[in-house]
Amino acid sequence: MNLAIQIVIGGLLQGAVFAVIALGFSLVFRVTGVLNLSQGAFCVVGALVMYTLQVAWGWPTPVAAVAASLATTAFGIALGMLFFVPAVPRLPTSSMLILTAGLLTLLQGVLLIGWSSQPYALPPFSGEAPVVLGGVRVPTQGFWIAGITIVVILSMWFLVQRTTLGTALRACAENRVAARLMGIDVPRMTLLSFALAVLIAAISGIAVAPITSLEFDTGGFFTNFGFIAVAIGGLNSFLGSVAGGVFLGVAEQLAAGYVSSLFANALALGLLLVVLLWRPNGLFGGGAPRRTDVRDEQRIYHAIVRVEGRGGLVFALGLAAIALALPLVFTGGGILSSLVITGILYISVLGLDVLMGYAGQVSLGQAGFMAIGGYTAAILAVNYGVSPLWGTLAGMALSVISAWALSFVTLRLRGHYLALATLAFGLLIDSLTVGMVDTTGGPSGLAGIPAFSVGSMTFASPVDMYYLVVGIVVVLVLALHGAMRSDFGRALKAVRTDQTAATALGVNVVRHKLAAFLISAALGSLSGSLYAFYFHFLSPEMVATPRSFEMISMLVAGGEGTLVGSLFGVALLTMLPTIFQPFALYKTLAEGLLLVLCFMWLPEGMFGFAAVRLSRWLRPRAAAPAAEKALP
Amino acid sequence: MSDAALAIAGLSKSFGGVMAISDVSLSVPSGSLTAVIGPNGAGKTTLFNLVTNLYPADRGEILFQGRSIRGRSPGAIARLGLVRTFQSARIFPGMTAQENALAGAHMHLQAPAWKHMLWLKSARREERVLAAKADALLELVGLKPFRDMAATDLPMGAQKLLEVVRALMAEPRLLLLDEPAAGLNDAETAELAELLRAVRDSGVTVIVVEHNMSLVMGVADQVIVLDAGSIVAAGSPRQIQQDKRVIAAYVGAEA
Repeated sequence: MNLAIQIVIGGLLQGAVFAVIALGFSLVFRVTGVLNLSQGAFCVVGALVMYTLQVAWGWPTPVAAVAASLATTAFGIALGMLFFVPAVPRLPTSSMLILTAGLLTLLQGVLLIGWSSQPYALPPFSGEAPVVLGGVRVPTQGFWIAGITIVVILSMWFLVQRTTLGTALRACAENRVAARLMGIDVPRMTLLSFALAVLIAAISGIAVAPITSLEFDTGGFFTNFGFIAVAIGGLNSFLGSVAGGVFLGVAEQLAAGYVSSLFANALALGLLLVVLLWRPNGLFGGGAPRRTDVRDEQRIYHAIVRVEGRGGLVFALGLAAIALALPLVFTGGGILSSLVITGILYISVLGLDVLMGYAGQVSLGQAGFMAIGGYTAAILAVNYGVSPLWGTLAGMALSVISAWALSFVTLRLRGHYLALATLAFGLLIDSLTVGMVDTTGGPSGLAGIPAFSVGSMTFASPVDMYYLVVGIVVVLVLALHGAMRSDFGRALKAVRTDQTAATALGVNVVRHKLAAFLISAALGSLSGSLYAFYFHFLSPEMVATPRSFEMISMLVAGGEGTLVGSLFGVALLTMLPTIFQPFALYKTLAEGLLLVLCFMWLPEGMFGFAAVRLSRWLRPRAAAPAAEKALP
Repeated sequence: MSDAALAIAGLSKSFGGVMAISDVSLSVPSGSLTAVIGPNGAGKTTLFNLVTNLYPADRGEILFQGRSIRGRSPGAIARLGLVRTFQSARIFPGMTAQENALAGAHMHLQAPAWKHMLWLKSARREERVLAAKADALLELVGLKPFRDMAATDLPMGAQKLLEVVRALMAEPRLLLLDEPAAGLNDAETAELAELLRAVRDSGVTVIVVEHNMSLVMGVADQVIVLDAGSIVAAGSPRQIQQDKRVIAAYVGAEA
């Protein structure tokens, strides 16, 4: 009995953090319609700044706590003014989701540079000795967490429901245009909601730090669970987000205490999928859901990226020649290895491009399919002696089946919910790869994976592997290019931009979305298998959710919807840390920053930008004026 | 009824107590060009949305070539050969004008994606044939020079014409056009009238919602006047021009 109470108390404390983050989600969502995935990272920023002030510089606890909260909020306001507020009116909400994922990555990059990758724990505010109540030991920090959380929730409630400022915030949530016409400064309210969410996240991060171990990337964990909490409770409901957080904390701790932490993760994510499917507005959800279609209409197309006719052929042949010649220049070592990895990741990003760039479906779970492909092929090869080729095909089959099963959830969802269902899927796979120690080797990974081989041909050396990957990439790009320039590609783009008009022309929207999803799953899986065979080793973090975010950065930076464009994004983010070693530390920051900057100022990506400029330069201004004269 | 391309009986739809369409019955003969006119808010676009099932109808029956289509999905209705355009030109951004036109031919392109992945000659040939057809239609409406431009860069009038071309590429049996002349100048409107006659003469039944009276009176075989969700009058353009109720409801003070 005491154990149960002990676990429930642990769950309540855990749930308190989830509740505050969920509240932040709900606040920003209600004002802007955006799910701010960077939310959880501010908990960690607050806690690590607190660590520096309190432990490293010896400031007294209350001063350090206040200073850390304020410093984090100031940092949050700066980020909000630079990126978040200007982006909200410019980007469709599902692009905003990716942008905030970029902010999350960016924050983790900053933390990695500032505090490196080691776990931190703060000393409790008032002593180590726990209070014993009727045989139940409660850490003193528990009272602090409970008290702070209650104060935070009550003051937020008062602010939003009982003040003029709160009314203005809620007006933005109801109707941004009307709010602006009524003289409400909508950008300022957007910033305010963002800053308030950062503030409460920082406070709760500081409060919980003494009983949790925090690392630069723990923010992802907070974001995930805060989001699951708010999705269960209902994004539009104040009470719902708090209740969802507490419920999730207790459920998670009970499951972890009585079964296993693997089960707890699976339970949380399973719960999320069930709620998304059954009641997308959450258990406490009320009010009309915002219109959150696929990334349609609002997104402005700056140019159609295409290298025409002979130019395209010259470009393709040139690229192929360079690709074939590269191993002659770099005969081995780090650079050749990075080139192989570039090729392997590009296969997965190609799939993501079909899904996101063409069909306009956001997936935050692409690495999940890499994991399925990698582990299936590796386990079959190591434990059952199945040949790598068959293992790879088995992985692809399993991935396609998983994607198909997942599509029962995703195809019924739109916008946000779709992206988040894929995120939940990715996280579920993460927890499986870590948790199923007997099969996957758990966190320490799976070693002794053979080299890739087809029959008697073995691709053991990096050069062999390089040419194998180049061959696969060439075949894939040609095949996808053939499909994308045909009716299939046009139908996908039509679905992306205007589902109603596409349907009115007889396009089967569901079938095309599903096809794109299955293609992306198959390519992700192929990439994951090759990855495992190349390294002869596979561990969960090689194919975990941060990899999904990384691949989105690569795609967006290179250029969506062009197939070849993303190669440059993949190459940039893979090669730079190899060529310029000190850059490795800044890689996470660069990924986040690149994603955010490209989304805001270079929406067609590096390749798109270059291709458009180049084709304008190659084709003199003959075409445009002629067109203008055409219509009388 | 068998020679009616579209027959509607007792169709009704209300939005929160407001009758947008109330007890509308009409019949559109095959191969005719029917114009639906009426003041703003009369329910013209709603009528189209009910026929194509963008909104479900509350009551009534909709027969397309003698077959009930009420409750069928918009995609299924399109596949039967009933294709529409939208009031605000909903061309696809991120595609050229030609690609937009070709997107209209989606239902008629048989080659599956895997044939294109293998770059099979037969699949390419099919695309080329339809591209030639798209080019011919673009030429016909004077959009040829815009062929390879981003469709969203086209002037509004050209976008509206492009949407009509896209619908024609779907080879409809019944074509619903929602205010195709809105945003077109006089010369463009004349071209559109020419195009509509040609389409009708090729055997396609056309229903057009339109404000532009000279277009309506010039090309329509039959005019249906809607006001406040009900049919006020129906007949030949000449009959309608002389109908007192129509003058009261629609032409109003201008007459």
